[in-house]
This record gives sequence, C-alpha cells and structure tokens, in this order.
Amino acid sequence: MVELTIDGKKIQTNPGTTVLEAALANNIDIPRLCHHPELSVSGGCRLCIVNVDGYSNPTPSCGLTCQDGMAIETQNEELLKSRREIIDLFISEHPLDCVTCDKSGTCLLQKYAYEFDITKTSHEFEISKPIYQDDNPFFIRDHQYCILCGRCVRVCDEVVGAKAIDFAGRGFECHIATPFDDPLKDSTCVFCGNCIQVCPTAALTPVSRMGKGREWELDRLKTICGYCGVGCQIEYALKDGKIIYAQSTPDAPVNGEFLCTKGRFGWDFATAPERLTSPMLRRDVAYELGLTSENWELPQKSPLAVRKPKVEDSHIPIDWDTALDLAARKLSENVKEYGPDSIMGLASARCTNEENYIFQKFFRLGIGTNNLDHCARL
Amino acid sequence: MTNSIAEIRDTDCIFITGSNTAEAHPVISYEVIRAVNEGAHLIIVDPRKIPLIEHATLFLQVKPGTDIYVFLAIMHTIIRDGLADEAFITERTEGFEEFKATLEEYTPERASLMSGVSVEQIEEAARIYAQGKRKSGPSIYDSRHGHSSILYAMGITQRSNGTDMVMTLANLAMLCGQVGKPSTGVNPLRGQSNVQGACDTGCLVNVYPGYQKVGDETKRKTIAKTWGVDELPGEVGLTIVEAMHAAVDGDVRAVYVMGENPMMSDPNTSHVEKALRNLDFLVVQDIFPSETALLAHLILPAAASLEKDGTFTNTERRVQLIQPIIEAPGDALPDWQITGGIAARYDREMGVERDKEHWIFPSTQEIFQELTTVTPIYAGMKHERLVGEGLQWPCPEPDHSGTPILHKGKFSRGLGKFNPVLANDPAEQPDEEYPLILSTGRVLYHYHTGTMTRRSGPLAWAEPRGYVEIHPEDAAAVDVLDDRAVVINSRRGSVKTRAKITENVPQGTIFLAFHWREAPANMLTQDFALDPVAKIPEYKVCAVRLENPRAKRKKPELVKQA
Repeated sequence: MVELTIDGKKIQTNPGTTVLEAALANNIDIPRLCHHPELSVSGGCRLCIVNVDGYSNPTPSCGLTCQDGMAIETQNEELLKSRREIIDLFISEHPLDCVTCDKSGTCLLQKYAYEFDITKTSHEFEISKPIYQDDNPFFIRDHQYCILCGRCVRVCDEVVGAKAIDFAGRGFECHIATPFDDPLKDSTCVFCGNCIQVCPTAALTPVSRMGKGREWELDRLKTICGYCGVGCQIEYALKDGKIIYAQSTPDAPVNGEFLCTKGRFGWDFATAPERLTSPMLRRDVAYELGLTSENWELPQKSPLAVRKPKVEDSHIPIDWDTALDLAARKLSENVKEYGPDSIMGLASARCTNEENYIFQKFFRLGIGTNNLDHCARL
Repeated sequence: MTNSIAEIRDTDCIFITGSNTAEAHPVISYEVIRAVNEGAHLIIVDPRKIPLIEHATLFLQVKPGTDIYVFLAIMHTIIRDGLADEAFITERTEGFEEFKATLEEYTPERASLMSGVSVEQIEEAARIYAQGKRKSGPSIYDSRHGHSSILYAMGITQRSNGTDMVMTLANLAMLCGQVGKPSTGVNPLRGQSNVQGACDTGCLVNVYPGYQKVGDETKRKTIAKTWGVDELPGEVGLTIVEAMHAAVDGDVRAVYVMGENPMMSDPNTSHVEKALRNLDFLVVQDIFPSETALLAHLILPAAASLEKDGTFTNTERRVQLIQPIIEAPGDALPDWQITGGIAARYDREMGVERDKEHWIFPSTQEIFQELTTVTPIYAGMKHERLVGEGLQWPCPEPDHSGTPILHKGKFSRGLGKFNPVLANDPAEQPDEEYPLILSTGRVLYHYHTGTMTRRSGPLAWAEPRGYVEIHPEDAAAVDVLDDRAVVINSRRGSVKTRAKITENVPQGTIFLAFHWREAPANMLTQDFALDPVAKIPEYKVCAVRLENPRAKRKKPELVKQA
C-alpha cells in the first residue's frame, strides 16, 4: 500500500494508482476532460492539474502515480485560474450555441464553463476547423465542437481495435480524421459508436438523436440487448415513448460503457412498417372456415423467390380469440388422429426464459411430446 | 462459458477457434483486444483471415475441417515436451492413459500435412497455451503457469463431428490444467440473446429444464408431480433437422414455431420448404412475416424483446432482467401470453380438466417462480434478486451468490474425464464436380436470418446486400469478377449473389453469410450428415461449384472447358 495526502486527507491506495484515481476513489473531484477511466492516460487537456509538494509546477494528476508521502493539493486560487484559462481557450474555438445544442445538459465543456462561471472567451473567437461530416446514417462528426481530447481515438484503438481515426494536421488545422480524410465507410471504422459514448461534447452525435429533444427531457430505460448472447445492457433514451438513441452506462454488468454497432444502432427494426400487428390467417384456410368468400391457393413459388413478399397477399387479419381457438383445435385434431409425436415445437433463442419455459411445458405436459427444439444448433 | 467475460481481460493467453469474435461477438472482442494490449498472447485457429488476426501472435490458418488434426497435434506436442499439468491430471481427471495413447499418431508433421499449418506454428501454439505465456508484462496471477482461456463458437460445433471437436478442446484445457481457475476454461460464445436460456429451460429434445435427462425417471417424476400429473414423456424427441425429414415423410404433421425462421436458418432450404408445405398445420409466432411465416396457416404477432419483460441468460450463464422500453405495435402480445392462451384452449379441446393457472400467469415473475421450482440450477433465483447485475447459474439456494467459474476444485461429474477423440473428416468433401468448400456464418452488421437487422436503417446501409467471399485464384478459374454476379451450386441447390474477391478466405474455400434472403446460403448446405450426438448440421463445410452467369449466357464453350 502507498500512503499519501490529498487536500490534507490521508489516503491509502494500491501501488500504481494515479493521483486522479486515488482522489476520485475518495470523493475528491478533480475537473478533467480527456481522461476516461476505461482508456489510457493522455494528459492532453491539463484540466486535472494539481500541486504536488516539492514540484515547481502544477502537474496533471491523471498521469501522476501515487507515491509514499506525497502531498497533493487539488484546489486553490492558482489552480482555478489555470483551469479557467484552459476552458477559456477551449471555448475560444467552440460555438457557445448551447441553447440549441443536442449535447446541452451532458456536455462536459458546458459543465466546466458553468462551474468556472465562464460566459464567453476572453480571446479572439474563431472556429478553426469548420468541418461537418455526415457521411453515414449512424453518427455525424461536427468538428467545430471537437476539443481534441482524443478519447475517440483511444477507444477506437485500445478497446475496439479498429484504429480507424487519429489526429491529422497541425496547429489550428489539427482534427480527428480517417486516413486521407476518407469517408468512414471506406475506413476500418466498424460503426460501433463507442467514440460517441466517450465524446465529452457534441462533436459526435447519433443521427437518430439530432434535434429530437433536450437531454433533460428524455426518459431513460435499461434492458438487455436482443441480438447476440453476450448480454450487454443498453440504456435507451426516449422522447414521447420513442427511442431517440441508445448508449451504455458504466454499471452495465457485462459490457461496461461499450456496445457494438447492432446494439447501439440496430433498434429501429422494432418500428419497421412490416411488423405484424394482428393474427393473420392464410387465405385458403380462411376460405375453408368461411371467413372470406374468395378462395385462394398457396403459390408453388417459394417465398424466397419473391422479391418483396407482402403478408397481406397471402393472409387476412383475424382476431385473437379466433386465432388461439384455431391453433388449439388444429393441434388437438392432429394429436387425436396421429398422436402427440406428430407435433413438433420450435422454441426460440430470442424469447425469454419465461416464454421458453411455458412453451416446453405446453409441449411436454399439454401435448405430451419431447419433439421440442430451437436454433441452438443453427 | 465455464468462466466469465470479465475475466478475459486478465488472461495471459487467449486461444480462439471457430469464432469470428470481432464480427459475431464484438463486445467480447473488446475484452480480447484489451488483454492483448496488456501483453497477452492471442492464438487464432481458423480457415479465414478474420479481423482479430491483426491482434494475434499466432494465426494458424487451417484448411476447413482439418483443425481437429491441429488440436490433436497441439496435445501431442504438449505431452511429448512434458508441458502437461501432471498434478492437475492426477488429482482432477481420469482416463488419461487411454487418451494419451490415442494421441501418439497425431504428430505435428501429420497435422501440418493435413491442415497446411507449419509444424513450428503448431508447436509454438502448444507451448504458449500450455504454459499460459505472455508476450509482455506481468501476469496478474502469481501461479506456476499463466492462465490460458479457450474461446470458441459455431466454427467448432457446426460440424459432423462437432461433439468431438468440443471434447477435444475440453481435453486440451484439462491436459494443461487450464480450467476451474479465473481467466481459463472452455468458453463457447453463444449466438443469440437467450440461446443459453432456451437450453436451460429445457427447449431441447433430450432434457427437461435444468438439463435433467428425459430418460431419468426420478427427475422426470418429480417434475411431473410439480406439474400435477403422474408421468411425462420420457423418450428423446426429434431435433429440428430430424423433424423436417419426418415432416416430408408425413410423420410430423403439425409444427408450432415461436420466433424462428427455419426457411432461412435450417440446412437444405428446398427440403425444409417441402417439409413445411407438407404439414397439416403450421403456426408461426413472430414479430415479422418471416419467410417461414409466409407459408404458415396461422401467423401470431409477438412482442419484440424491447417490448416485454422477463429474463435472458447470456453466454456466461448470467440471468438478467429485461424490461419493456417501447410499446408493442397493434395487437402484438408477449409470447408467454400467446403460448399460454393456446395451451389453455388446447386442454379444453382435449377435454383435459386442468387448472388454467398452469398456463395463464398474471406476470412473468410467477412463471419464473415456477421455473425455479423445477430447474435446480436456477433454484435460488427470483426476479427481485436479478435486479442490477443478475446471477450466474448454478444458483441452487436463495442466499447463493451465483457461480462465475465452473469446475472450481471439482468437476460437476467429480473427476474430469478425458474422452479420446479420433480425427474425422467432414462428411462432404470437395470433388471434381463440386471442387470448393462452402463455409457459412455471420457478418458484423447482420444477425441470423436478417429479419431484424435488414430492417434497421443504419445496419442495412452498412451492408445492404449479400455477397460471397471468393479467393482470387478460385474466382479467376471461373472468370468471376469482383462485385459481379456469381452462381454457387451444390448438390442441394443453387444461389446467385455478388462476388467479393478477397484473400481473407483460403484458396478452395468460399464464405457466404446466411443473412441474405435473396441469396439464402442454406439452399446449399447439407442436412444428411449430422453430428451423431448433438445432431447439429455441418454448416461449416459442404462441397460447391462456382459458375459465372455471364459465361453461361455468352460463351457456352468456356463453361464446358471450366
């Protein structure tokens, strides 16, 4: 164990812990922009500077390893002045259009400007990189909001492994870019959106979220992703009952803050116009039952051979009671005539435990067969 | 998984085979990449140059179906070079001597000849895995050996010897004592949100909930008693593929499908379609009018997982609560209500007097409550306990905190059994008529039969159409051009799609994902040779021939020559 004092408080921590980590673990908040707990240390924003007893200059706490006997000061007039100057410089090239900005309320730059009471820059205001890239339907890149913290570059490299983006250009020209500034689709980007997740400002915004509501108006609900078997927890942000965007939160037990492209962006299928909204009976069966006057025959052509098959062409809507009665009757007729093993049930790897339990119980207790499988093998 | 996802990050050596992790389980690949960045070794055995090989220390590019020789040779090397964990073998396992004898013939030289992987690579992989070596940096584990973990997926199991393949990986882990500790184990990455749970709850032909064998009379009778009857069916039922054959023969006459699309996901689509058309009654419960639903007599609209509550069990056996985020459209209902409604009415039709409470539940909590009474591995769970982190089974008691690592100190059967495995080749080998091997799988932006992802705007934009990956040499042989049409023929059928010429597939192998309804891969796959135990179809290997549709139209003489 290493023992040090931070703001006069005696703190014990494991060797290798940084001063920032030790402070945060002890409820001492230090302002920071480029730091992210899941990513490597960058030290670029300098906002987390602290005074160290015996050091001549303030030092970024994110890159400072705790040592025995260290005495750290995180707050004083001098440090506040330096931090104010840093935020002042950031907003000298960052639009202060928080009144219409989608990120307002969760933007870190806005948070610190508020905390340090900075209403406008004391420098000459100039947007040095007025680049707006909307080359894909996943997210936009609006570089005028970018503060070059590099979180997106690090998450892409260190967590996702895609290495699609990096710093390009120098001085005021510096911006985050794919090689040769090619569109993201032509890069190694996998559209996982973890860059949006770690972006502290509105530089990266999901397309689905743009102009859809203020952060504080959104409802937030968490559930488990419906795609693969990893079981990521996703937090959905909703406005008026509609999903605006999806993200993750650090408390997600399996995935922490990270998601893949399907989990983060693939939720819009749920409101696709082709969703089934009522029970549907095949037209020939409906005719037999006298529910329609027109007879019909199932075409020999495979549904796979039809380019865009429409369920209305082959089926008519019916009510739930008729549908459930018919299902029960047809299954029972078959069982009476051919026995329970003439029935096969395919349960679902996409349904819940409760649903699969009821399904297999119906087959075993109700029908009396073990002809019961699902796509675990497929 | 024997172990948990969070442990991957601290692993010293990760051994991935038959899993395109970065595309099919991206979030697990993040853990792998973080481990590699911390200095872990990454060994990949796969026929295709999958994205993760960029991070790998060793990439053993095997010819499809020959990986078994490589695994056996790795174990041969481990024993030959004295790298086995003798203490673990003596204390924790049985059947070692018999198993050891079967390995003698599987030399690295033979494996190299069969698989195309060099002897050096095989021996290096054996050394790194057995000792849990790191590339750099210290291990967080201060044991004699570093910790090695095996990750695998359907590339191993969707084979006519899939069970043997899994047993081989289990043998490898036991041989090196790489099981029962953190960051080790044999870890299948499962492909659907609740495929683990569907198995756990007994939606399989041979087991009741909690993997209680249908033939085990005592256990069966206990469940029967809970369900208020004297006896339940004790014969193993028909698996999906067997049922399709039975349907063609007229032995299976009605099928109830809940949230599946066999027209796209089952092998030999033409045969599946024939089977489904032959039924007296097909009822399909789904969120979309899938290709299967379009053939159904009756379609029942279900709520999607975003619209309902209940639990999902993930690949690391973690049971987690889901909750509704949005409202289900129209009259769509959660599946448990639909199935319950049918079951109650079915009893009435059959004249069975049974309390409706067997089928009609006030909420999913009560269903889960009943589930736990017949599922010993879930016995200690209830919905309230799952809030937050969930629980990993087995969780047998109400105060049990779940089991992140299986086989700690003792295997579930007591001693770990070495099952000797002999190498078997895939059932359908390429020949003169069908000279190439087709392997199927997934791509990053799509999921299973594409019913969901192909209706997602951004995902469909990223990967709008199907394509087949072809090695440049194979493409040149039939004069197929990149991004142009190509026809793939097998003994079952043919599919037309777009060629993507790439060296990511080895010469002699093509890859086609099964997401594309306009190019359904399972038109081509075979359904005659299943794994004898698991009855899994061999999606990863079947023989095909490429054909250039332009050549057929314009230059018939060239086709003859080809």
